[in-house]
Amino acid sequence: MEPIEQPIINKVTNTEDPIEIATHDFSLNWMLLKDSETGKVLWEGKEDMSIPGQVHIAEVPKSILECKSVSRTLNFSSKRALTNFRIVQRVMFQDQLLEGWSFKFGFVIPNSTNSWEQVIEAAGEGHMLPAEMLSGNVLIQTDFYDENTIISASRVRIFYV
Amino acid sequence: MGLLALLRKLHSSPTHEMRILLLGLDNAGKTTLLKQLASEDVSFVTPTIGFNVKSVQSKGFKLNVWDIGGQREIRPYWRNYFENTDVLIYVIDSTDEKRFLETSQELYNLLEEDKLANVPLFIFANKQDLVAATNVGDIAERLKLCNIRERQWQIQPCSALTGAGIQEGMEWLCKNMAIKKKKK
Ligand SMILES: Nc1nc2c(ncn2[C@@H]2O[C@H](COP(=O)(O)OP(=O)(O)O)[C@@H](O)[C@H]2O)c(=O)[nH]1
Repeated sequence: MEPIEQPIINKVTNTEDPIEIATHDFSLNWMLLKDSETGKVLWEGKEDMSIPGQVHIAEVPKSILECKSVSRTLNFSSKRALTNFRIVQRVMFQDQLLEGWSFKFGFVIPNSTNSWEQVIEAAGEGHMLPAEMLSGNVLIQTDFYDENTIISASRVRIFYV
Repeated sequence: MGLLALLRKLHSSPTHEMRILLLGLDNAGKTTLLKQLASEDVSFVTPTIGFNVKSVQSKGFKLNVWDIGGQREIRPYWRNYFENTDVLIYVIDSTDEKRFLETSQELYNLLEEDKLANVPLFIFANKQDLVAATNVGDIAERLKLCNIRERQWQIQPCSALTGAGIQEGMEWLCKNMAIKKKKK
């Protein structure tokens, strides 16, 4: 997992652009947000969150902002073997990058279902914006690549309720 | 000690990213173990036909645990995941005597892999909560573990379901991941 370098981020001009999907052999099955200390599920997205051009909505309890660590899970399937699979994820606040990662998985087994869970420690007190300010302004962008070809993408807008 | 705690303990280690590879036959309990390591609810686990990766990060340090499905059809793909492994955890179902031979063959295949040379090996003799479980001494003998050379290794009885023995495993990982790094 590496922090994304700035130049890549600058390429994203319109964050809600529909993305042309290179293959239908890939599907994003579900996403999950949990309080990783208690294991409590805070949000679960069961629909396919990778429908091109669509921004999905997630209503997450405000209390997530007080969690010491949060776990995010993505579950995805691929019909084809992928040789150099990677995920680039960005958490945007309006046009500003709050967090960004890229994770290289490498090989993906044909006809497999896989998951990736990230446990992230909170930035700590004083580093968090209030829920009212964040709500509706946070967009989680997830792009799935095989080598340099984008194979799927997901846009989820977060509301803190 | 969960994965986050392990990571905090590893802070003295000079590398910033660690990779743990979790392998074993299907049904050995790898996914349950991975959940146990992260103190999650272990009551519902679906079989893995692919990988489950868990990434934990704390203050710039990252730990990635790779649980790769163990079904016979997908074992040939294991080799795609060997590179850069810091520790290999091998999980055995201690109640599945019929497959002790099969699991030992798979283990020895792994130990012969160049990309896994010198990588410390930790074996969990899992499902010790069941009466049908073979004890760890007998498993070590049946699998001829005393033949393992040129790497740090350890076998530990555990129950991924109840959590017994997991703590000891984490402590061993903590010590041996760091040692390997110093040698480099
Ligand atoms: N009794 C008992 N059952 C276990 C234990 N660990 C795993 N299991 C069960 O064994 C089955 C296979 O576990 P799973 O984690 O999916 O194995 P995997 O295929 O190696 O990932 C599941 O039904 C688990 O609930 C254990 O320590 N004790």
